[in-house]
Amino acid sequence: MEALERRIDALRAEIRRSVVARDTARTKGLRAELRIAEQEWEQAISDLAEEAGDPPPAAAGRSSAGSLLPVREQVHHALTLLSVPAAPKLVAEVHAAFFGAAAAGGLAAGKLTHLRRDEKRSFGTAPYARPYYLCAALTAEHLAPARGLVAVSTWPLERRIVGPLSPRVDFLTAAVRVAERAGTVPAGSSTLARLVWRFASNIPGALDIAGRPDTVDPVTVIRAAEAERVVHADADRAHRAAAAERARRQLDQVDQLFGNTLRTLPGKVTRRGGAVSRGNPTVQEKTA
Amino acid sequence: MSTLTALARAEAVAVGQAQRITTVRHLHVADRPLVFIPLSMAGEANAPLAALVGTVPDDPRLLVVPQPRNRDQRFGFAAELAEVLLPYLDSFRGVTEAVAANRGKEVRYRYVDAPQVLVPNSAGIGFVRMFGRSTRFRRTDGDYPVQPSVPLLGQWLTFLADRAEHPGSGMLLAMTEALGLHWATGQSALEDAHLAALLAWIDPADGLSGADAAVVAEDPLRWPPAGPATDPTFDNEMLAPAMAAYQEAVGSGDEVRRSRARGVLEEAVRSQLGPTWELMWRGVSLLRELPVGSRVPGRWAEDRDVFSTFTLYVDGGGYPQPRRDGAVNAAQRLHRLERALQSYAVQRAYDDPLVMADHRLTGEAFVGEVTLADAHRIDDSGKRRVLRPRIQVTTGDVVLVTAGAVLHSPSRPGQKARVVFVTPDPASGRTDVVLELSGGLGRSLSPAPGSVPEVGDRLCYTTLSDSFMPPGEFPSREETPWTHGGPPKAYEEPVEPSVDDAREEWS
Amino acid sequence: MTSISMGTSRTTAERLATIRGGAKPKRHNARTIAALTRNPGCARRAVLDTAGVDKQRLAAYIDFPARFGQSGFAIARGNAFEAQVKASGAAELVKLLRERLGLPIPEVAYDDLETVTGREKETAEVRYARSRALLLRAAAGEDGAGTLFDHPLLGLDVAGQRVYLEPDLIAFQHEGRFHVVEIKSFAVVDGQADPGKVSAAAIQSAVYVLAMRQMLAEAGHDPEIVAHDVVLVCPRDFSNQPTAVLVDVRKQLAVLRRQLGRMTKVEEMLAVLPPNLCFDLAPDADGVPTRAPEALVDALQTVDARYAPDCLSVCELAYFCRAEARGCTAALGTSAREELGGIERVETALGLAKGELTPADDQAEAATLLRNAARLRAEVLVAAAGAAG
Ligand code: SF4
Repeated sequence: MEALERRIDALRAEIRRSVVARDTARTKGLRAELRIAEQEWEQAISDLAEEAGDPPPAAAGRSSAGSLLPVREQVHHALTLLSVPAAPKLVAEVHAAFFGAAAAGGLAAGKLTHLRRDEKRSFGTAPYARPYYLCAALTAEHLAPARGLVAVSTWPLERRIVGPLSPRVDFLTAAVRVAERAGTVPAGSSTLARLVWRFASNIPGALDIAGRPDTVDPVTVIRAAEAERVVHADADRAHRAAAAERARRQLDQVDQLFGNTLRTLPGKVTRRGGAVSRGNPTVQEKTA
Repeated sequence: MSTLTALARAEAVAVGQAQRITTVRHLHVADRPLVFIPLSMAGEANAPLAALVGTVPDDPRLLVVPQPRNRDQRFGFAAELAEVLLPYLDSFRGVTEAVAANRGKEVRYRYVDAPQVLVPNSAGIGFVRMFGRSTRFRRTDGDYPVQPSVPLLGQWLTFLADRAEHPGSGMLLAMTEALGLHWATGQSALEDAHLAALLAWIDPADGLSGADAAVVAEDPLRWPPAGPATDPTFDNEMLAPAMAAYQEAVGSGDEVRRSRARGVLEEAVRSQLGPTWELMWRGVSLLRELPVGSRVPGRWAEDRDVFSTFTLYVDGGGYPQPRRDGAVNAAQRLHRLERALQSYAVQRAYDDPLVMADHRLTGEAFVGEVTLADAHRIDDSGKRRVLRPRIQVTTGDVVLVTAGAVLHSPSRPGQKARVVFVTPDPASGRTDVVLELSGGLGRSLSPAPGSVPEVGDRLCYTTLSDSFMPPGEFPSREETPWTHGGPPKAYEEPVEPSVDDAREEWS
Repeated sequence: MTSISMGTSRTTAERLATIRGGAKPKRHNARTIAALTRNPGCARRAVLDTAGVDKQRLAAYIDFPARFGQSGFAIARGNAFEAQVKASGAAELVKLLRERLGLPIPEVAYDDLETVTGREKETAEVRYARSRALLLRAAAGEDGAGTLFDHPLLGLDVAGQRVYLEPDLIAFQHEGRFHVVEIKSFAVVDGQADPGKVSAAAIQSAVYVLAMRQMLAEAGHDPEIVAHDVVLVCPRDFSNQPTAVLVDVRKQLAVLRRQLGRMTKVEEMLAVLPPNLCFDLAPDADGVPTRAPEALVDALQTVDARYAPDCLSVCELAYFCRAEARGCTAALGTSAREELGGIERVETALGLAKGELTPADDQAEAATLLRNAARLRAEVLVAAAGAAG
């Protein structure tokens, strides 16, 4: 066991040297060795534990307390509340503020890509088999999936289009929605207050309560957000409508939901989409 | 850098070992200093990761923050640090001594000893300052309450960091700077900021030249950086996996696993701190070996004064120091620092012939032998007859002073010497300087015994003066002119921390 | 500025290729270009950088590895902060720009230029073309041409090599100016930040300003509409809340122009170097470079270096050059070298100080000072030793 520990230390030191030396091949090899050594160590320690009669360590991945809903439903709830495409971080924050903390941390950006790919597969296998899909927002220019945003398939296409003004308009819309809901929650949690404050602090006039610059009043927030939204609304709406029209004409059903990524070889997409159909449970296990 | 120091660096290269640039120690080294080695988390604003702290070489206390981004854990660290630092500070509040104040009309008391905190390098001082800033405004009530010791710790850390800016103060010292003040290495100042490399030059391992020993010392795997920044490969290969494992173990709810993971994490950071801990104490003993300069206790007395005053302020429930100084405070502070800097430089030169040699080289001071002396010379040109002895000093040093200049001799404080003639002799390369003395001669028209140098005495005369420099005058804070921003704003004055201050987000 | 690429002739390009050997040229980025402005007088680095040699690998292979590298924690924090500032159409940034630049309310349009079509691997050329089109449209003052350009790709010719650069964001005020926005995750506490980090950010941003100006000038626009004030966005105090400061990078621009101009003169440097000079690191089947380290060291020594301690923080070859510069006064730092009268070698300075060497004409003054210094030092140390013993 001690020899093993010494070996692990030595390997770590070697890795640090080879990283500095930019020796990728060697680093890779060393890392592999380190992994093996660490596994051996883990094994040795649990053997020891068993000899000593300790109960084996609890299995990892027990679901923690809080919301027991599958991740995709949590995302759906939050998005429905926001009513606009949003980044996973905001989705997680909104969920935490209104529905409890379970989703926070479970919605890393990487997981979201995974989730979106899963939804796309599921849609490809059996279109519209589910009441909704978590899908992409589309860039107005290329109708490609917008980077880092999730949307809901049941929304009108216009709402899922992202033109240059849309991020701001959607931000203001989200602010209004969050403030409206916050107004109806009797004694808002501090996470919720913080969320509203964060929206408000980036909207001109949303924090103006005479003498109390640090308090948020949902009504003021709504009024301020609406006031700015009006400025951008018409141009944005026109832009979205035109792009949505184009999408309806040019894209098939899958691409309308998940964006136009591979303009060539459309056959391949279908085949791939059909061949692999891992269900959602994998994702849920990892994130719930 | 002076020519003499540069020369000492050159000699260090040739000899293969650092060279002394002082003959005495210009710093107070406490009997019981507190060594503090902080590590911070890369990428965060002064987020503590770990620290090794203590007053005894073989008993360091390890503080660890397993999840440095977690706000509660950061304040937990602050509270733990307070558990070490505050009792240490308190331990000096025993015995006091009386000092005359206000020209002897009053008596004030000060502690006979004071704390001394040692960090490895100037970045360590930066950590103390920033950690003080991030803790002194915390509140013990409302949102995010902290333990009462936390804001108090913040005030003290801020106090220490302020003292570290004060030239000649010894309350918070960076070891690299303390050593660099006394030794010149054969490398650059930039490399001297690396504690292990600096010590390698001063005290190289057997059989190695300073240069070779320093190269060995720069290997982060053998001698981890002395903080607060950690080595990136340590972060990536050791710390990150250990933290992730800890996080996972916490999530598993399995206490055995958690404590095992914490053990691994602690071992990892200890491996980064332990070597520096050894170096710090080696530095302390190297400094202790140097004979202390005669004006060092005086400066330490000033530190004790300031410490005593600040304890009163804190005891009285004084508010935390402001975020920024207002215009008048800033000007006063700058003036204070300038005065301190000047007097520190003069005191070091007076204490140390090797430092004085810098001034001799530039012609601001000379050392020579008294070749003529007229101890009983009376000047009767004025209304009153006065005793004005004259002496002639002959020196081989470069003399750049001119007639009329007033000089002082470190060995004869309180006596002024006005330059009457300067006569260089190109043939011998020596210079005769005739000086007229006043002050420190006694009250009568004949000089008190020993008050006038005798022929054959060797003396140093310099333009540097140790005499009192009057403090500048400043408007009161309320009268700050508008050109300087007007009277101080709230954040420029010590005030009770507001709810906002306390809530100030910690990532 | 515009004709840098023209200056490198075909033969020069061939020679640079020989110097580099079989490996692909190491591409510059804003950081490496910024690093060029430190120690601009060094021919060794100029030649290696112009040829695109991987200095880090070279240094490691000859057993003087550079200790650069970033902590994963710092990288993660930097990315997270940037993502936060840019979330929701860069809502936090919009607020800051409204405060700092007086950006009017209607100007909020946001274009994500990090991807064009949503495909994973897009070539730099495709991205550059789109960035260029959008930015030029804005410069031409077209309606609805956009305000915030997230991660545009700019091009700059560095010694005949096309370098693509990616600023964090460029903001355009209608009928106004372009501002380069740089997002950094070091904190600004009570209005103050680490000066070293600020100046590194400033020079990096200056590279973007330069590239942007070059692009505008080539398209016939006034390059000066790119502001020399860049917007630096950092977390405020100990929070995650961003704050913005304007940083004037005029000085950095001047330094950069000068240094990039010098790189066109690489021919002159090559002229004095052996024609077969080569730093080939091409590996054999086992992944080890085929050339012996000694051969590479020999090759390095044929190119003049100008080592200064500052190299340690900017150049990958620093540990090698430092070892080579042992015994040079320059290795002790600029001010030490000056105090030693600019004498190059330590033993010369000491020889003059002890009076063992006769000074050359131009060393006379330095020699007098050094002799005096040595005499004083010896006198005091002897006296001190006498007093102690
Ligand atoms: S380290 Fe060497 S190659 Fe690099 S700039 Fe300095 S002297 Fe030139």
